[in-house]
Amino acid sequence: MVSRGGQTHTRPRKPRRGLSDQNYVLMLLLPAAIFIGIFMLYPLGILVYNSFQHIKLTNPDSSTFAGLQNYLELFSSSRVRTSVGRTLQYTAVTLLAEFLLGFTSALLFSFLGRKSDLMRTVFLFPLMISPLVGGILWRFMLIDNFGIVNWVLYWMHLIKTPNDINWLSSPDLAIYSVTLPDVWLTTCFVSMILYAGLQNIPVELKEAANIDGASPLQVFMHIILPLLRPVIAVVLILRGIDAARTFDIIWVMTGGGPQFSTDVLSLQIYREMVRYGDLGSSSATATLFLVGLLIASLTLFFSIWKPGKH
Amino acid sequence: MTPRLTLQLIAGFAILLFLSAYVFPYFYLLSTSLKPAVDAITVPPTLLPEAFSLQNYLTVLANPGTLKSFSNSLIIALCSTLLSLVLSVPAAYGITRYSTVPGRLFLVLALCARMIPYISIGVPLFNFMKNLHLIDTHLAVILAHTTINLPLSIWLMCSFFEGFPTAIEEAARVDGCSRFGALIRVIVPVASGGIAVTAIFAFLTSWNEFLFSLLLTTVNAKTAPIAIAEFNTQYSVDWGAMAAMSILFSLPVMLFSFFMQKRIVSGLTMGAVKQ
Repeated sequence: MVSRGGQTHTRPRKPRRGLSDQNYVLMLLLPAAIFIGIFMLYPLGILVYNSFQHIKLTNPDSSTFAGLQNYLELFSSSRVRTSVGRTLQYTAVTLLAEFLLGFTSALLFSFLGRKSDLMRTVFLFPLMISPLVGGILWRFMLIDNFGIVNWVLYWMHLIKTPNDINWLSSPDLAIYSVTLPDVWLTTCFVSMILYAGLQNIPVELKEAANIDGASPLQVFMHIILPLLRPVIAVVLILRGIDAARTFDIIWVMTGGGPQFSTDVLSLQIYREMVRYGDLGSSSATATLFLVGLLIASLTLFFSIWKPGKH
Repeated sequence: MTPRLTLQLIAGFAILLFLSAYVFPYFYLLSTSLKPAVDAITVPPTLLPEAFSLQNYLTVLANPGTLKSFSNSLIIALCSTLLSLVLSVPAAYGITRYSTVPGRLFLVLALCARMIPYISIGVPLFNFMKNLHLIDTHLAVILAHTTINLPLSIWLMCSFFEGFPTAIEEAARVDGCSRFGALIRVIVPVASGGIAVTAIFAFLTSWNEFLFSLLLTTVNAKTAPIAIAEFNTQYSVDWGAMAAMSILFSLPVMLFSFFMQKRIVSGLTMGAVKQ
């Protein structure tokens, strides 16, 4: 059994009265709290501290106070501005595609009811695939010359030659191509959660609306959507956060190229730190990313989620 | 045919079409892994292998680095799962069973932790581990994976413990258990379903994780995703071997998940729908 420092003192007492509720909860929380404190809050403290220093990875001991200089450089750096734009673009496109596909399939599954059991099982399987493998796989399928996607389009007579679309080498297109693995991997997640949400809507409500002569569209707009609102909010927030912080998919597909056209914030911060060794500057970017994502997701969380308010 | 049945047929057909497009990439990966190595990049590509060959698998398995990276991944994922459970189960029980201010604060903290961009925690964690001389050890990756697993585990366990009957604990207390004894001996076994779900998610997260492993390992503790990515350089890619290794990496987890899919669906929906 796990031995705890606090317990040896309380054991001689009557166990049923030992601790107050408050202290018992604190005792249960303590290990997790200590862990989060050491491995999350303390490192984040270092991150913020480093963001105010001139500090190189090659020589972390010699750091000088930089004040706001790292941050000021960020705001004037076009590289950072573009990567913020790329991150927003990637997140928006991924989220839109996943939500539309996921919602459509959830409605279809819900319409089919139990007949869709097997289909839902099959649908779930990319969820277990690592994003890294998903990225590699799609790079293989989209690559110029022997990529299967262009060949399939060619066989279907949709494009003239199998090299017509430069999925990964055209700077205008690459940012959309790198959303494909994520959409492939996690549309099922969106679909499953919306499907479960649809199952939780009482049948009587829909029947009552039908009796009152509501059209399917009216039922959808006035009953299903409002009741599904908290579920939709949770899905959008969870998927939005994951898309915004994507690293592995883009890393293996394009490495941020061509011409930095897929250089999202995670990649930009990684490169600044590992390749250029600029710890101060990468910490400042990472701090802003952290603050931005926290503010955005908490705002969304408390403004759309609104639990129990129908 | 009734109109409803016709509609159902159309819906079923739409889904089947969608599914086959959906399953195709993985099928193509499997097919590529079974082609002779040179056939992976033939022009035009073939959907099915013209000659079945296990050459890619043999190449991959003959490399001692492959097995090492798989065993690293397994050790790290198992330890991180165990550590996440040991930390999150009591915490989540404390939060849901008693309504206290620290409990609620902690839940908000876990929610915020869930929203942190991984690279932001990765940058300082790298330096922290470097100062502790833990770079390229299993322990560093285990701790890093537990850091990202913990918030999710706490949320999953909390939504599981919600509506958990308090009578079980009270009965154990009447029989002379201490509160903590009741948690370990009675509540944990009864909650094993929810714990299993949490464990699956923690394991999957760690098994598939890339960024922290990339930052924290070089040789000794290198995990399988890093080994796979190393096939993928700007100049030359051994697509056949990479496909074989990707299949070896993802197939066991997918088969396992296939048998556990009821639990996985309940875990997925537990966090989002029941709140």
